[in-house]
Amino acid sequence: MDLHEVEESLNFWHFPHTGAWHLGTVGNFPIDLNPKTLIVTWLTMILVAAFAIVATRNMSMKRPNSAQTAFEMVYNFVGGIVKEQITDPIKAAAFLSIPVTFFIFILFSNILGLIPTLTSPTADLNTTVGLALTTFLLFEFMGIYYKRGKHFKHYLEPFVFFLPINIIEDLSKPITLSFRLYGNIYAGEVLLLVILGLMPPVLNFCGGFVIPVVWLAYSIFVGCIQAFVFTILSTVYVSQKISDTH
Amino acid sequence: MLEFNATLIAQMFNFVILLIFLRFVAYKPIAKLLKDRQDFIANNVATAEEERKQAQELREQYLADMQKAREEAQAIIAQAAKVGEIQAQEIIAAAKEESNRVKDNALKEIEREKEKAVRELRDQVTVLSVAVAGKIIGQTITPEIQHDMVQQFIREAGDLPC
Repeated sequence: MDLHEVEESLNFWHFPHTGAWHLGTVGNFPIDLNPKTLIVTWLTMILVAAFAIVATRNMSMKRPNSAQTAFEMVYNFVGGIVKEQITDPIKAAAFLSIPVTFFIFILFSNILGLIPTLTSPTADLNTTVGLALTTFLLFEFMGIYYKRGKHFKHYLEPFVFFLPINIIEDLSKPITLSFRLYGNIYAGEVLLLVILGLMPPVLNFCGGFVIPVVWLAYSIFVGCIQAFVFTILSTVYVSQKISDTH
Repeated sequence: MLEFNATLIAQMFNFVILLIFLRFVAYKPIAKLLKDRQDFIANNVATAEEERKQAQELREQYLADMQKAREEAQAIIAQAAKVGEIQAQEIIAAAKEESNRVKDNALKEIEREKEKAVRELRDQVTVLSVAVAGKIIGQTITPEIQHDMVQQFIREAGDLPC
């Protein structure tokens, strides 16, 4: 079967995934939105918000329920990473909510795409570049906020002619972040479609479903790893910008 | 989906909305809760340490008290043993005295009985000797002579130490 046919046959919710929403133009720039990406993003946001509300409702210090425990685990896990990278506890506490949100949002996005008929928001390059740009703006902003003029001075170090190299280094960070995440998740979904398309339907009656299930299980692992990688790299980039030695 | 469009801006906007939402709905209470729990545990640990120290002090005090009580008991036992010995000595001394007194009384009684017996014996001897003398001498002596002899004999016999 053709890849697009498989994708079309799995489009249970009739996402208009080929077209785009046109919201007019600003100047010469058209405002186009990918409807499928936005719908699954909103779904992810609703799920994350629901998880957060369930986890923080009726919180108990001595006897936390399971949702609260899970949320605390995520919070403490990312908090541990942040505290390892940013030694100043005040700066770490001010920054902590951003990597935690990165982690939860990307994790939910990656896992959501594994549900049949849905897709990951992170399988769209717009999402990952948006998140990576957020990281980029974040570490530039935090660098300026904490280091003032010294933040720009480090582009000229150790010598003035290192300026283009330093600028390329900083620009490469959001690019690698976004393409790594996008590539892993999109490749996972494409490969799932390829596996489904390659298998003749008769194989489904003699255990052929095992192969995509194995790939789904592996994709869960990849999704967790990519969420972790994105979070820890963002933290490292920010800590590089706000540490005193840089 | 490789072409960029306004979705990029929308996703950044979505992320910021989610961030703000979570910041106020979840992270603030979670951070406060974790802080509370940390304080609670630190408090508990400090209290436990304090109580352990107090228990140690109490234990040492009890041990010291017990040692003191044991020593006092030893002293009381020794004192009682000493008092008992003294009493035993006194009792033995009293018993000895009593026995001596009984013995003296008995000796005195014996003496008295002996004197009484001697007196009686002397009277008997007088009568017997008169009878014997009468039998031996018979009628050859007048009553007057006889009486004188007897008187003399008695005198002599009275001088005898019996």
